[in-house]
Amino acid sequence: MKWVGFPVGRVPDGPGPAVVAGGSSILVRGGPAHSGARPRSDGVARSTVSPAAAAYPVSMREAIKEAARGWLHLTIGAAISLFCYLMVGVALFTAFLTATVIGAGVLPESVLLLRRMAGWERRRTAAWTGTPVPEAYLPLEGPLPARVRTAVTDPGTRRDLVWAAAQLLYGSVLWYLSLIVWAPALLVDGVWTGLAGRRPVALPLIGRLAGLAADWSRALLTPTPSAARDAALAARIEQLTATRAGAVAAHGAELRRIERDLHDGAQARLVALSMRIGLARRVYDSDPAAGRKLLDDAQTQAEEALAELRHVVRGIHPPILTDRGLTGAVRALAASSGLEVAVSVTGLADHTGTGDGHDRDASTGHGHGGNGSAGHGTAPRAPAAVEAAAYFVVAEALTNAAKHSGAARASVGLARERTGLRVHVRDEGRGGAEAREGGGSGLTGMRRRVAALDGTVRLTSPEGGPTVIEVELPCVW
Amino acid sequence: MRVVIAEDNALLREGLVLLLTSSGHEVAGVAATGPEILPLLLEHRPDVAVLDVRMPPGFRDEGLRAALAAREALPGLPVLVLSQYVEETYAAELLGGGARGVGYLLKDRVGRVDEFLDALERVASGGTALDPEVVTELLARRRDDPLDSLTPREREVLELMAQGLDNGTIARSMVVTERAVHKHIGNVFAKLGLPPSDGGGHRRVLAVLAYLDA
Repeated sequence: MKWVGFPVGRVPDGPGPAVVAGGSSILVRGGPAHSGARPRSDGVARSTVSPAAAAYPVSMREAIKEAARGWLHLTIGAAISLFCYLMVGVALFTAFLTATVIGAGVLPESVLLLRRMAGWERRRTAAWTGTPVPEAYLPLEGPLPARVRTAVTDPGTRRDLVWAAAQLLYGSVLWYLSLIVWAPALLVDGVWTGLAGRRPVALPLIGRLAGLAADWSRALLTPTPSAARDAALAARIEQLTATRAGAVAAHGAELRRIERDLHDGAQARLVALSMRIGLARRVYDSDPAAGRKLLDDAQTQAEEALAELRHVVRGIHPPILTDRGLTGAVRALAASSGLEVAVSVTGLADHTGTGDGHDRDASTGHGHGGNGSAGHGTAPRAPAAVEAAAYFVVAEALTNAAKHSGAARASVGLARERTGLRVHVRDEGRGGAEAREGGGSGLTGMRRRVAALDGTVRLTSPEGGPTVIEVELPCVW
Repeated sequence: MRVVIAEDNALLREGLVLLLTSSGHEVAGVAATGPEILPLLLEHRPDVAVLDVRMPPGFRDEGLRAALAAREALPGLPVLVLSQYVEETYAAELLGGGARGVGYLLKDRVGRVDEFLDALERVASGGTALDPEVVTELLARRRDDPLDSLTPREREVLELMAQGLDNGTIARSMVVTERAVHKHIGNVFAKLGLPPSDGGGHRRVLAVLAYLDA
């Protein structure tokens, strides 16, 4: 972006019409102000402002400056060439070590080093031309054999090696050329601008050399579309593998928790209950009072077992989600949070209140308030796991808000998006949710639950508030 | 009393029928699915309806919706709604049309037969029966000064009032005299800044719930 004014081999990408570099410099030198062909060219900007003769000292100074910048680019390129020289050595050495198996561990590290160098050149090239150079590598992860395999099979490795070998040549050659050009160019342009009053023509050559280097680097370092696709896919697979592993682990932990809850709670209570009834039967005839006492205990235990079961069931899948869908369940949470909560719903089935607009079989409604009043009746529901996660996010956020934030009001937003479900909870409390002690475990649980579904949690809670939790849960509608 | 029962689980349905008939009530009709409920109620016009919330075909809140529909179609029809779990929202919806003859209890409470029959009769005669768990939830989320200023006894009285019990029942359940209960109630209303209210009944329940829900 920053360097487009000088005639180099490369025409800047952009809205401006393509002009052959030499032609452009002729146009400019010819002096007509309204060449109009290079709207982004500062060369044009200058020439439109002032006649060429008056501008020459400026243009000479500018030309030297630009040539210096080009030369700097080339010099760093030459330095990289030197590194490339070392790198080729490293590559050969690594190949030798790997072939003799001793040093296979060095291979991925060398490839990473190579990637870093290529990354450096990409950034330099991007800075010079103003257009980013795409990058695409397969991730080097897993156990050593997998890393070695990836390092060898990644097309990016071959691409980088080819570039390194080429850079070794053109990096140094172009730099030598620029060195040679400097003195004559200064002389020629000094005369050309000073005596003839023309614009410099030789100094821009250095810039063109730099442009050439950038072009070649770009050509060599840009991954082929298929390689870019492969790398994107690989990254996605890696992410999915990680989140699936997380989901499986979370699921396992969840199952163990439920098992433990049932085992220690309801099951144990039912055993005790059965024992009490058995004892009551034994003493029933001989000691009715004791029998009665045992039956009382038994009933208490049955009730406790039921309470435990309810608790476990709520933890698995809150029944109100089944009854009322996410919107109804969240409205219920909002109503019972103790805060003044505004709930906004976009694109989801929303049957508020007592049954008007409920989207289910007409048979149960029996004319109460009319069925499907708002036309949301056909809005789809998110998958059960997504609804449950969203519900727990809202529950946790509102609980925290009520307990810690000191806020009197909050807002909850549920929005159906093309790619999933977005949940937004905001309270106007005192903030600092992340720093707060004890608030951590709930938040951690929330993050885990969401991550298990490949979702994201964004929490902002500066001291002094407000606290905003933004959760995205991808799903297909 | 003539009772209509709606419960899809055969075990529980038979248990309820047994419990009611053995305590001298008449079971006029039994519904096993949501859509059957309203026609059955219209046909029999019972003294009280006992409805399960989750019923076929949707297994969602068919029973609750039927209860609301029934109270619209037959104003004043006493309805006792039973559920495996309680939701404040559902309680609010049920009480939305007035607290007269409305009950909302956990199924667990059926096990305490006497208390359950008490609640049923209370509802049938225009009273209110609200599950202790709903009341506890309501109380738990309010943490303000007036409630904190209640003594444990007064708090207990408040909870029992919110459940819809009358003074006599409250006195029995707390093992105190009705006079003492009356005094506690006076204190509660004074501390909460509510207009004094005599006796039991749905108005008092609504006043207390409105306070708790504010």
